[in-house]
Amino acid sequence: MTAQESGIDRVFQQRVTDTMIAVLATLLDRPDPVTEDMRLMEELGLSSTLGLELLLELEDQLQILIDVEQLDADRMRTVKDMATFVADHSQPA
Amino acid sequence: MTALDAVSVYVPSTRVSVESLAGSLGLTDMQVKLFRRFHGLREVSRDPDASLYGLLMSAAAGLDALRGQEHRVRYVLYARTMPVVAPYPDNPLHEVCRALGLEHAIAFTVTHQSCASGLLAIDMAGRLLAADAADGRGGQEGPLALILSGEKAFTREAEMFADTTIFGEGAAACLVSAFGARDRVLAYASNVRGEFDSPTGANDARLQREYRPSLAEVMRQALDEAGLALNDIRVVLPHNVNVVTWQRMCLLLKFPRDRVVLDNIPSNGHMFCMDMFANYQTACKRGMLRQGDRYLAAAVGAGGGATFAAMVFEH
Repeated sequence: MTAQESGIDRVFQQRVTDTMIAVLATLLDRPDPVTEDMRLMEELGLSSTLGLELLLELEDQLQILIDVEQLDADRMRTVKDMATFVADHSQPA
Repeated sequence: MTALDAVSVYVPSTRVSVESLAGSLGLTDMQVKLFRRFHGLREVSRDPDASLYGLLMSAAAGLDALRGQEHRVRYVLYARTMPVVAPYPDNPLHEVCRALGLEHAIAFTVTHQSCASGLLAIDMAGRLLAADAADGRGGQEGPLALILSGEKAFTREAEMFADTTIFGEGAAACLVSAFGARDRVLAYASNVRGEFDSPTGANDARLQREYRPSLAEVMRQALDEAGLALNDIRVVLPHNVNVVTWQRMCLLLKFPRDRVVLDNIPSNGHMFCMDMFANYQTACKRGMLRQGDRYLAAAVGAGGGATFAAMVFEH
């Protein structure tokens, strides 16, 4: 069941999004607010390595394991895209 | 047609964990976690007691096909990631040649394409041998070339690259002929991208963005030259940069991950120019290659520019 199909998953997806926005602000040392429609590379300057750090922080903070084998960075342009991926491709740690 | 007549690989039995390297490499806890969790690097092969000469000789010692054929060896090519590996006037390559009875051979280093220099050396050896054969040089038995690769992780630059890979020590020796029966080289493609050579790192983000598409492009170029499609390829022999890069490459190429030889990354690390040879040996040991199978070796040499290279073989 995907985040779009389940109310519980939508709640989880929102948690992922909120956590991701907070982590990104710290990781990028960014004083301006991060929003879910921002583009990860072009607007936020997120590198591949920082992207992986972001996933690690999410795993730690949300106590989850993300299925990184399915990670297709080319299809994750925005914060929301990545939050949806994490919500759909993770399980409790 | 260029052929790999025999391959020998030596990897020291000693390993060091990524955690134990954290202090000397200045890795944060987060970087260590990244290496283990995503890059798939748990430990790397290192032998502080082995010299570069010792590593290369250990690989050559396993090359049984060389015994008695030394007189046929016209070239010894040392494929290297690092431009300089020993203080002048030491020359481990020439020491190895003397020890192996190959003083008569023309010995030189192939470098400046970083970790893609290994595939360049195979191509170069094949072309030199073919030219000799065409000129009637090399005798009736046919000339041979010996390719050596493998290095010591002897400086910080040679220990780790761009937070994405950690180098392991070892060596490989490969006997090449111009017209051997196995493993025949079907095609070679290489794209040298000098625009990524920036002392300020201004193009690093662009290299990260273009890394996988550029690698996919050169793999397709090599396949086109061989007249093959990716579906025709039984096994991909990767460079051991890290696991996550190849997981993403598999998604990009729609190629099954279990046919990419990633076995050696967690325990050996990225072994400079010799990954292809070590992964070839692993593929053979695991029975992944049968006679007639086509396989593809891919490598990226990054640092001071970038070279994307791919070579297609028939087993």
